[in-house]
Amino acid sequence: MKTLAGLILCCVVMLLAVQGCSTTPSTGGSRPVIEKGSPAPVTSGRPAPVAPPREQLESPVVAPQPPAVLALLEQAEQQANAGDLGSSAASLERAIRINPGSAVLWYHLATVRLAQGEALQAEQLAVKSSSLAPGNRIQQARNWKLIADARRQRGDMKGAGAAEQRARELEHR
Amino acid sequence: MARRRKQRGRRKARRKTAHRSIWLWLFAGLAVLLTGYIAYLDFQVRHQFTGKRWSLPARVYARPLELYAGQSLSADQFAAELQALHYHPVRSPRKPGEYSRNAGKFHLLSRPFDFWDGSEAAQNLRVTFAGGSISRLEDGSSGTASSLARLDPVLVGSFYPSHNEDRVLLQLNEVPVALTDALIAVEDRGFYQHHGIAPLAIARAMWANIRAGGVVQGGSTLTQQLVKNFFLSSERSLLRKVNEAIMALLLEWHYDKDEILEAYVNEVYLGQDGKRSINGFGLASYFYFERPLSELSVEQYALLVGLVKGPSYYNPRRHPERALDRRNLVLDMMVQLELLDVQEAERAKQRGLGVSHPGRKAINTFPAFLELVRHQLQRDYRDEDITSEGLSIFTTLDPQVQWQLEQVLASRIKTLESGRAIKAGKLEGAAVITSVQGGEVLALAGGRDPGFAGFNRALNARRQVGSLLKPAVYLTALEQPRRYTLATLLDDSPLIFTARNGDTWEPRNYDKEFHGQVPLYQALAHSYNVATARLGLALGIDAVIGTLRRLGIAQHLNPYPSLVLGAVELSPLQVTQMYQTFASGGFRMPLRAITAVLAADKSPLQRYPLSVQSVIAPAANLLVTSAMQFAVREGTGRAILQSFPAERFVAGKTGTTDDLRDSWFAGFTDERLGVVWIGRDDNQATGLTGSSGALLVWRDLFSQFKPAGWSQPAAEGIEYQWIDPVNGLLADAGCADAVQLPFINGSAPLDTAPCKRGESAAPGTVEWFKGLFK
Repeated sequence: MKTLAGLILCCVVMLLAVQGCSTTPSTGGSRPVIEKGSPAPVTSGRPAPVAPPREQLESPVVAPQPPAVLALLEQAEQQANAGDLGSSAASLERAIRINPGSAVLWYHLATVRLAQGEALQAEQLAVKSSSLAPGNRIQQARNWKLIADARRQRGDMKGAGAAEQRARELEHR
Repeated sequence: MARRRKQRGRRKARRKTAHRSIWLWLFAGLAVLLTGYIAYLDFQVRHQFTGKRWSLPARVYARPLELYAGQSLSADQFAAELQALHYHPVRSPRKPGEYSRNAGKFHLLSRPFDFWDGSEAAQNLRVTFAGGSISRLEDGSSGTASSLARLDPVLVGSFYPSHNEDRVLLQLNEVPVALTDALIAVEDRGFYQHHGIAPLAIARAMWANIRAGGVVQGGSTLTQQLVKNFFLSSERSLLRKVNEAIMALLLEWHYDKDEILEAYVNEVYLGQDGKRSINGFGLASYFYFERPLSELSVEQYALLVGLVKGPSYYNPRRHPERALDRRNLVLDMMVQLELLDVQEAERAKQRGLGVSHPGRKAINTFPAFLELVRHQLQRDYRDEDITSEGLSIFTTLDPQVQWQLEQVLASRIKTLESGRAIKAGKLEGAAVITSVQGGEVLALAGGRDPGFAGFNRALNARRQVGSLLKPAVYLTALEQPRRYTLATLLDDSPLIFTARNGDTWEPRNYDKEFHGQVPLYQALAHSYNVATARLGLALGIDAVIGTLRRLGIAQHLNPYPSLVLGAVELSPLQVTQMYQTFASGGFRMPLRAITAVLAADKSPLQRYPLSVQSVIAPAANLLVTSAMQFAVREGTGRAILQSFPAERFVAGKTGTTDDLRDSWFAGFTDERLGVVWIGRDDNQATGLTGSSGALLVWRDLFSQFKPAGWSQPAAEGIEYQWIDPVNGLLADAGCADAVQLPFINGSAPLDTAPCKRGESAAPGTVEWFKGLFK
């Protein structure tokens, strides 16, 4: 019951989340504008291999989701609300196929897996999400919270506490 | 006398009653036997008809093509996909399964399809292509932009039971009325009136046959024909005729007309495709017209109905005139019974047969990939379930990638053969292509001839991997940032290793030289054997084996020192599993060929979900990936750079074995991973290194992929520093030959190289960003 409530909560924040997690909170009640397409490719005379990626910047620019992914997220949300978690996960996997580097999509998949009772896999997917969001403390904190839930579901209270601690540290850094 | 007479009379009477009772007994016995026999037939009829009637092969589908603005797909690739789906080019599409094309603009009516996560409705779509990708997707009727559409998936094969029965099962409500009307008109006009047999029809047929002096008409009802196909052998005898009649009556007694008609429509024999018999109108429609029955027109129904009389005699591919006459006769009969008006029939007669080319076999186009699918299915299903339960199997196969792979592999091997004066046909190859983050097998080649279902080298050839193993050694080192970084100098001077038993091992470099002190990243990029051997020995062979286990190599590995130089035999698929972990950022995931399985009634049976396991710390994984980027930038894989823009992320490793027997390349971008092997089945020398063989196949293929983005790998806890490769010390952008290397936070060297200028130069990453974002 608790996990289902958690899932519904996640679905509520889903649309907010898909617009990318910037380190600066959005202002007032205005909805962040979703720009179509991805940012222009980085071009420079220098070869890029082994060069630091953009995420190393102080304020990370997170690519907005393409409309196809937004449509799939909406579908996944509807399916989850209708209790069809298997289909919801399948829709999220479709979204990941389109935009595999998006940490937020992996996070959503983790929440659905957790609701399905797949706590171990949910934790792994959350770890994966964090690995795709270096420098994005908000996303990482959220992943650690999910990991805490997953560990609680498995009865690992000590591990859950440690995960929660990590989440708090990330939030207050 | 009287007594005697009396006795005789009594004896006579006794004999009479005995006679009578014998007849009675005989009659009773016969009746019992006959009843028993009928009961036996009745049991057969009911058992077979109500129980499972047909064994249905499993259908294997490719991944469905997703259409959305921005999808990397050219107009020609899209056209090829539509062709593989048997969509029909028309001037203006009116039915699902039809499309029109005007250069880069397509208009199509997609087919509905049941997926594991719900049904996709038929859609009216306009798709516009520009510059190798979809530039716009819109609703064909309203003109508004659509965000996403999913086509029905290409059928790539079926798993048949041993007797090669195939069928596309239809329910009666899926069968067009025009077809059943025509069928009844031609084969059994009294179908809805008779009780299984039609004596009048038999008499009429006999009379017609006598008049014609041969068999021109059959008197069998549809029910009798069904019984004949269903339960009986094809021998012609009186007993069989009697059986047929009894069983037809029994069938009608137990089941209603619609059930019988539905069975007939699915059972009737309509052709032969090699060993595979074509039963039922559903499959025949695909076999002759390459589209579902619902998409056919009236003259095509007439052709199929005409075939019932003699699929081989009226074979439209072999005897088109006979088939045309027969078809037109059926159309005439339909007019006679007022199922069709005269003008319509005349128009239909004007049209050609419309039968597809026989050369293009739709079945099992990709045997090597299907073997992988079957292999994975056998973990969860019994063999007979795979071949008889009518499963729908959704796979990860991307036909576009598969076609490209088959083409480049065959043509590159041919070029290599002629270039190296190898006898034509001797060189073989195998390859596996996967998606980097999903671990989905997109394409697989088991040999140079893609259609040949023989030895599948991608799955079953175990070959020495050579230097492909080295990244595991370097990763083991880089996971200890206090001891090893990419800038750590390794010793590439002569080495003689003496084992405990006295055996000595003296590794050599491919160029037969020693390179002295080399930074770690260069030792991997240039694949130096001696430096790697020394590193491996320092780390311990067991530590390297432990890393290989985490990367996904499950087979037993002997802890010999030569292991670190790749004295291990693996299949291309196993190598792919190992590199998948590198490519995905340190996450091991099962390589998946199947995403879901549906039962015959389209209910989901099993999903094979995306699953990951973190086995390598992302930061350490990024370091070894960076060294593999140097391999394709300045090391053994530098031929790659010719075909890729410098800013595109590519990493990879070549592999060459003793006497040039095996040529390997494993490489990945941010989207796809590809492992290619080239060698000979007789394990003779090929004269090819990893770079002069397998790498070229990889390059041919990957240069065709249009990247969706330009993302570079990143990881938490990584900092970048300029390093002077001569001494592995801190440098800056001003130093000649300085390179920027990633380090796990706090592990970068503290000492500065002599070339580094004074305090005026900004240290670290700032310089690089200035250049990039000016």
